[in-house]
Amino acid sequence: MAIACFPEHTFTPCPNGTAIATLLLVMPPEPQVSVVVPLFDEEENVGPLVRAVRVALKDRARWELVLVDDGSRDGTFQEARREARSDTRVRVLRLARNYGQTTAMQAGFDDARGEVVVSMDGDLQNDPRDIPRLLAQIQEGYDLVVGYRESRSESLLKRKIPSWAANRLIRAITRVPIRDNGCTLKAFRRDILQGVRLYSDMHRFIPALVAGTTSAHIMEIPVRHHPRRFGRSKYGLSRVWKVLADLLTITMIRWFRERPLAMFAWGAGASTAAGVVFLAATLIAYTSFGPLKASAMVFPAATFLWFGLAGYLIMLGLIGEVALREAPSAPSAAVLTGGAE
Amino acid sequence: MRRSVDDSRAVAQDALPPPPPMEDAGENHVVSVVVTVVERPENLSDLYQEYSTPFRELGWDFEFLFVLEPWAKHLRPPLDELTQRGEPIRVLEVGRVLGEAGQLKLAGSHCRADILLTLPAYHRVEAGCLPQLVQRVEQSAHLAVARRWPRRDAWLNRLQNRVFHFIVGAASREPFHDIACGVRAMRRELLEEIPLYGDFFRFLPLLAIQEGFEVVEVPCPQHSRDQRARIYPPGTYLRRSIDLFGVFFLLRFTYKPLRFFGLVGSGLSLIGGAILLILLVQRLLGQGLANRPILLLGVLLFTLGVQVLALGLIAELIVYLHAPMRPSYRVRERA
Repeated sequence: MAIACFPEHTFTPCPNGTAIATLLLVMPPEPQVSVVVPLFDEEENVGPLVRAVRVALKDRARWELVLVDDGSRDGTFQEARREARSDTRVRVLRLARNYGQTTAMQAGFDDARGEVVVSMDGDLQNDPRDIPRLLAQIQEGYDLVVGYRESRSESLLKRKIPSWAANRLIRAITRVPIRDNGCTLKAFRRDILQGVRLYSDMHRFIPALVAGTTSAHIMEIPVRHHPRRFGRSKYGLSRVWKVLADLLTITMIRWFRERPLAMFAWGAGASTAAGVVFLAATLIAYTSFGPLKASAMVFPAATFLWFGLAGYLIMLGLIGEVALREAPSAPSAAVLTGGAE
Repeated sequence: MRRSVDDSRAVAQDALPPPPPMEDAGENHVVSVVVTVVERPENLSDLYQEYSTPFRELGWDFEFLFVLEPWAKHLRPPLDELTQRGEPIRVLEVGRVLGEAGQLKLAGSHCRADILLTLPAYHRVEAGCLPQLVQRVEQSAHLAVARRWPRRDAWLNRLQNRVFHFIVGAASREPFHDIACGVRAMRRELLEEIPLYGDFFRFLPLLAIQEGFEVVEVPCPQHSRDQRARIYPPGTYLRRSIDLFGVFFLLRFTYKPLRFFGLVGSGLSLIGGAILLILLVQRLLGQGLANRPILLLGVLLFTLGVQVLALGLIAELIVYLHAPMRPSYRVRERA
């Protein structure tokens, strides 16, 4: 390939000048659409998935499929590699260990070359046939198209109810009107992603991250949803707490990234107010019962606790300011806060 | 500090470097043996003679690096004598106390081979097994740690070892048997990639796995001189426990501190809040508050919970602010 001609460090020219021209002609142009699929222990699903994507995108001239093997312990990588060998549009990225879906997705995004990036689950619960519809919306001018699962074929108690509650909560807190944050099938214009660096379990909040902080146009369309055919789900109810913690983080980052002291000052204010109430109780007890009796010591003591908390929060806020000031300036931070204020 | 922010990083972290070139597998073994002199050093020239024997017999290309801190200067003359006799020994004399982590880093930047074998300055395992460790690294692993097995030492040592690794295994879900043995072979880049400081070198295998390196455990017969029962002062056990706790926190929550602080903090505030709520209801029903000391407990728990939660938020903010400069994954291979 062309790269082999120019090893990075030695600038030896290609022996045959015409070879370059030929290679340039032969080299495929940048693909327009990159489909990114994180895979973890999905060996039975790889083949059907690749075939389904190929069928779904058969009308498009330029696309690529980036399979990210997130440290699977089964034959996922071998399956994926076989697909990649038989179709140059399929590429596989094997991560060194199991990092989790968010990081795997970030790895896929980093590797994707298309102007439009589509993210999708590896378990075939999303239907690749929906991809062209997402792409059509991007064509219309939207920056981010999010799928929502209209009729979910999953158990009510373990999936639907927690999911419904989580979506309500996320919607209420982030104020981004996305119906289904848990649906992985999304299409992005590439530059939207450039500024977002995903870590922890943040992939659920991409719309919230993008919407709250840039002037991106977001669109939501219904997509198909199938029950899992092979393998088993890697989610449990334990993610409820994770979602809550991440939500708190996202909220804090969105509102207070530029002024951490302000966030802590709010807390300090509330704590001071509580302290004032107890101070008043102390004074009332003092004036009505004379010099404090031992039994009334709870009020002054509680007053000290509340004021102590207020002081502590202010100091933490100052630490936050220091952290912000000393942070390496990063493009993602700029994008994330672009439209927030 | 350990990585630059520029974009080339993204490329550099990508694919792991290929295994070292091996023109003909039987002949061209190159290894730097690093002896870190940290505690209870034994006779270093004897140590050298014993541990270099297998490499000499196999005809490998090897060198020995001894790192000497100021307090260990008196150990140098016999080593210099060996050097003058043409033995492949180098001594790195450092001006201050570095500790094992610092010594490893230093050795990593001074050694000639791409594969390092680290040894403590006393006998741990039989010399004969060392080439095997190196070979495991040459084959595929990034780090091969020796497990002293079969063991010959006192039951007290084994018991301590069992307890320690039971805790390590329970918390990290990595079934190691002897992570702190000190005899390990590794590729040099491992030392460059892993943030190693303080006493965390003991947990090098766990840190390496976290960074996506391949780690194997290789059984090596325990040396006959590593038999004495060791009882450490209580402070040592305390320090180990703190290290253990620190490592597990870092392994599990470095990128999501709020998961930990938030759980503790909201638990405390919920209990405190519930107490306050009950008291409020009772107050509204007419019961006085002034003689209810449990009010203090409620306020205390609530404020404590908020403090813990706030700490978690600060930690999360710091993680977020530094996220762009930190490579968050490592690619093993592409296809």
